[in-house]
Amino acid sequence: MNRFERSLGIRNLVCGSCNGCEHEMNALAGPDYDITALGWDIVASPRHADVITVTGPMTEAMEVPSQETVEAAARPRVIVAIGDCAVGTGAWSNDGSGAGTWLGAAVNVVGCPPSPAAIIDSLARAAKLL
Amino acid sequence: MSHQLLPLRDLKSRVLEEAQTSPLIGAFASDDSLSYLFLKPAGVYDLAAIVDGDASSCAAEWPLLAWDEREMHDERNIAFAGYPQPDPVVTGRGLTTVVVGPVHAGIIEPGRFTFTTSGEVVVNLEAQLQFSRRGVERRLEGLDAIAAARSIARICGGCSVSRSWSYARALEAIAGVTCDRSAELARVVLAELERLYNHLFDLASACSGAGFARGQMEGLRLKERVQRLCAQQGGHRFLFDTIVPGGVSESVLFERPALRSDVRALHGEIEAYGASLFATSSLVGRFERAGTVSAEVARAFGAVGPTSRASDGIIDVRVFSPYGAYGELQPVVATAREGDVSARVRVKYREALESLRLIDCVLEELGSARIANPHAIEPRNGHSIVATEGPRGAEITCVDVVEGRLHRLHVISASFRNWPIVVRAMEGNIIPDFPLVNKSFNLCYACADR
Repeated sequence: MNRFERSLGIRNLVCGSCNGCEHEMNALAGPDYDITALGWDIVASPRHADVITVTGPMTEAMEVPSQETVEAAARPRVIVAIGDCAVGTGAWSNDGSGAGTWLGAAVNVVGCPPSPAAIIDSLARAAKLL
Repeated sequence: MSHQLLPLRDLKSRVLEEAQTSPLIGAFASDDSLSYLFLKPAGVYDLAAIVDGDASSCAAEWPLLAWDEREMHDERNIAFAGYPQPDPVVTGRGLTTVVVGPVHAGIIEPGRFTFTTSGEVVVNLEAQLQFSRRGVERRLEGLDAIAAARSIARICGGCSVSRSWSYARALEAIAGVTCDRSAELARVVLAELERLYNHLFDLASACSGAGFARGQMEGLRLKERVQRLCAQQGGHRFLFDTIVPGGVSESVLFERPALRSDVRALHGEIEAYGASLFATSSLVGRFERAGTVSAEVARAFGAVGPTSRASDGIIDVRVFSPYGAYGELQPVVATAREGDVSARVRVKYREALESLRLIDCVLEELGSARIANPHAIEPRNGHSIVATEGPRGAEITCVDVVEGRLHRLHVISASFRNWPIVVRAMEGNIIPDFPLVNKSFNLCYACADR
């Protein structure tokens, strides 16, 4: 059973991203980065999620829905801010704040957008926090 | 003449008259004026009026204007007399409403979709977007026009190059500067690489919408190859900031021989990919007659890009209103008539191959020639509206510069134009086909919401 303890269910939350980070998140499911080989998967319910990835600067319209997703996730869970906007340093971040700072991300990955390899690395860091 | 100012009372009749001969592409308001935009071979033409009373809505005659006029009303307080009332929500016995979003199960931008169904069949669909609205236009007002280019490249990741190009052309027109030939050629390579990775992603996504994993994986593999080429040739996997006002950034296309051999190899691989998709009868069976957009709907809603060209449209800005080096390159326009998922997939597949051909032609002409550094341009005062052909269609940027600063910016993206058509395409289809139909358009939310 130990082999499976680092398996991750990932739920993605898009909070005003330009879609660049989503392109790179989608690449994780492709043959070059194939995260299923690591025992990770993008899950269809926040209840199945160990990690919530968030992208974008946070928009007014996503404030409530994003918080509901985070609250709906089973504990323990880690929030990972993907990309400059979510970290708070991007083109559309609001005064140094992004969706990650807003929702209390424990792991940050910078880049506009970060590469798929950098995203995988951040998810591995998140797995160690669980 | 690219601009004509009319009395407000005459605007509607002139707009309707002009729309008989030139494609109507949108409308926007700036301070106290209101403009309706048309695409002409010489560029974007606008019919404008000073708003000194209620405007007359043109949305009943041209549904494509429904969002533009509503936006002008919401953002600029312009009243439109005769704005059509929304269709009554479908009511009836045995109808169920299914709402999904804004957070979705996969990696998808936020939107809320309300399906009204009699069981399986969708009798009505409403799309509520704007969850990604960052208010980029107002946020950029007052910024130095050159410095704003970096933010404009980040309004939408997947359309960054085409939007940067339209913004750069607008500033170059205001500054009265033309680009060097080598930079114009490099811009074609960058824009076609963007089209290529987007179209490959769209083919992969259409396969995923039909539950065809092999086609999805092969499409994602090819997309990744192109994005690695982007990183190699432009220093960025999405080519952000490679097209800049005055030319192209100084570090593009340094490894041209490698690019040329990769482009030729990719041509064969993409042909083989397409052949394998079109030979899979169970996949083609899902594509055909799904999500059909009639030529009439496409025209009335002002469809652009592959959405238009798969429904009997012919306009491709690269050919209809040529810019940069496209005039001589003469891209071959891919078209289809059926308007279904299959037609959109085939148009994008053929456009992907054509992008490779164009890149090859440009590399032939460029040889090992040095690409000129960007001109340091100084746009001081002026107004320019420019259209480029992005992966999803016409990317229109309306720019007003006062004393070197952005006074007004308005973005009419291909996705903004095409979204209302996705909703129409679902009528009569079953809910489980929504991912397939939706992904055959694969529109962005970021540049529709802005």
